[in-house]
Amino acid sequence: MEIFTTILGKADAPEYKAQVHRLSHAHALDVLRLSRADLSRRRLRATSDAGADVAIALPRDQQLYDGALLSLEPDRALIVRVETEIWLRLAAADQAAALRLGYFCGNFHWRVRFEGAHLLIAVETDLDTYLARLEPMLEGGEVWRVPDEEVST
Amino acid sequence: MTLLAPDQNTRAPGPARVGIGGPVGSGKTALIEALIPVFMSRGVEIAVVTNDLVTKEDARRLQASGLIDPARVVAVEAGACPHTVIREDPTLNIAAAEDLEARFPGLDLILVESGGDNLASTFSLDLVDWWMFVIDVGQGDDIPRKRGPGIMLCDLLVINKLDIAPHVFVSADAILAEAAAVRGEGRPVIGCRCKGTQTQGVSEIADLIMRDLLFRQVPA
Ligand SMILES: Nc1nc2c(ncn2[C@@H]2O[C@H](COP(=O)(O)OP(=O)(O)OP(=O)(O)O)[C@@H](O)[C@H]2O)c(=O)[nH]1
Ligand SMILES: [Mg+2]
Repeated sequence: MEIFTTILGKADAPEYKAQVHRLSHAHALDVLRLSRADLSRRRLRATSDAGADVAIALPRDQQLYDGALLSLEPDRALIVRVETEIWLRLAAADQAAALRLGYFCGNFHWRVRFEGAHLLIAVETDLDTYLARLEPMLEGGEVWRVPDEEVST
Repeated sequence: MTLLAPDQNTRAPGPARVGIGGPVGSGKTALIEALIPVFMSRGVEIAVVTNDLVTKEDARRLQASGLIDPARVVAVEAGACPHTVIREDPTLNIAAAEDLEARFPGLDLILVESGGDNLASTFSLDLVDWWMFVIDVGQGDDIPRKRGPGIMLCDLLVINKLDIAPHVFVSADAILAEAAAVRGEGRPVIGCRCKGTQTQGVSEIADLIMRDLLFRQVPA
C-alpha cells in the first residue's frame, strides 16, 4: 500500500505534461478510477488499474479532481480519472409539471443539472430506483424520458 | 508516512472522520460505546461528536460512561432537522471536529453520530470521509427492501440488535442476505450486537475502519 497525502497538480500542467505523455506511451501511466461522488472524499483506499493498493489522505482543504496527478516517477505515474457518469434526461409537459419535477428531485436531494428544457439527474445508485420514484409522473405523462440518454464524464 | 512533493506546502491530513447515521434508537450510541474500547486497545486515538435535536443527551451519556476522556466528546445541537447539519449545512459539525483536532493533535479518528433520523439521511463527504448507517432488526425485516438512500448510499450498512431477532419474528440471516442483495456486490453489510455480555460484529466494523480509513494492519 502507498499513502498519498497531497496532489502534485494537474497531469496536463506544463511542468508534468511531457513526462506524463511519455509514460503513457510506455504503458507506465497507472490510473485510479473513481466515481464522481468519491471525488469529495479526503480519505479513501482503492485499487488502481495496474492493481496497486492506493490510500489517499488529503488535508481538508484539498480535493481530488479528474486528472489529478498523485505520483510522478521516472518510470511510473499515477493519475485520477473520473468514471463515466450516467444521467437520466427528462423533459416536462408544461411549466407546472416542470416545477413539480424540480421540487420532487430537490426533495430527494438528487444531484441534477439543467440543459435547455431538460433536467438531468445523476444516477448515483441503480437506475431502477430513480425510475420507481418517478413512476407516477412518468405514467401520468407529466414527465418523460428523453431517449438520447446522455453519458458524459 | 512519507510526504510527496516537498516543494508543496504540505500539511498533515488530520484524523479520519467517520459518520454514524440511522433511525432513532437503532443503537448508534451503543455502537460507539462498543467501538471505543476496541479502538483504544488497538492504539487508535479517538474522539466523538454527537448530534441531538435540542439536548446534549448522547454526549453526556458518553462522557459519563467512563470509556473515554469526557473532554473528547463534543455535542452539536442540531435544532429541528437532524439531517440538515450532516448534509446541507454541516458547518456546526465541521467546527466541532476542528475543535477536537485542535485540542487533541494526536487524534487518529473522529466518530460523528447523527441525530436519529429516517431512512433518507445521508452524510456530506465534506464532513466525513466515510459513513455507516445503523438499522436494527426490530424495525422490521422489510427495511432493506425499502431502499432508502441511507441504506443504499452508505459505505457500510450495520444491522444491529441481532440478539432480539427471534423476539420480533425476524430471521437475522434473511435480513442480512436481503440487505447485501439490494446493496450489490462489494458494498459491505455487517450484522451486529453491541449490547450485552457477548457482542457480535463490533470488531469487524473496527477492522473495516482500520483498513479502509486508517490504513493500518488489522490484528489477526
Ligand atoms: N438488545 C439489544 N439492544 C440494543 C443493542 N444496541 C442498542 N440497544 C438498545 O437500544 C436502545 C437505543 O440505543 P441507542 O444507542 O441509544 O440508540 P441511538 O441510535 O443512539 O438512538 P438516538 O441517538 O436517540 O437516535 C437502548 O435501549 C440500547 O440499550 C443491541 O445490540 N441489542
Ligand atoms: Mg444516540
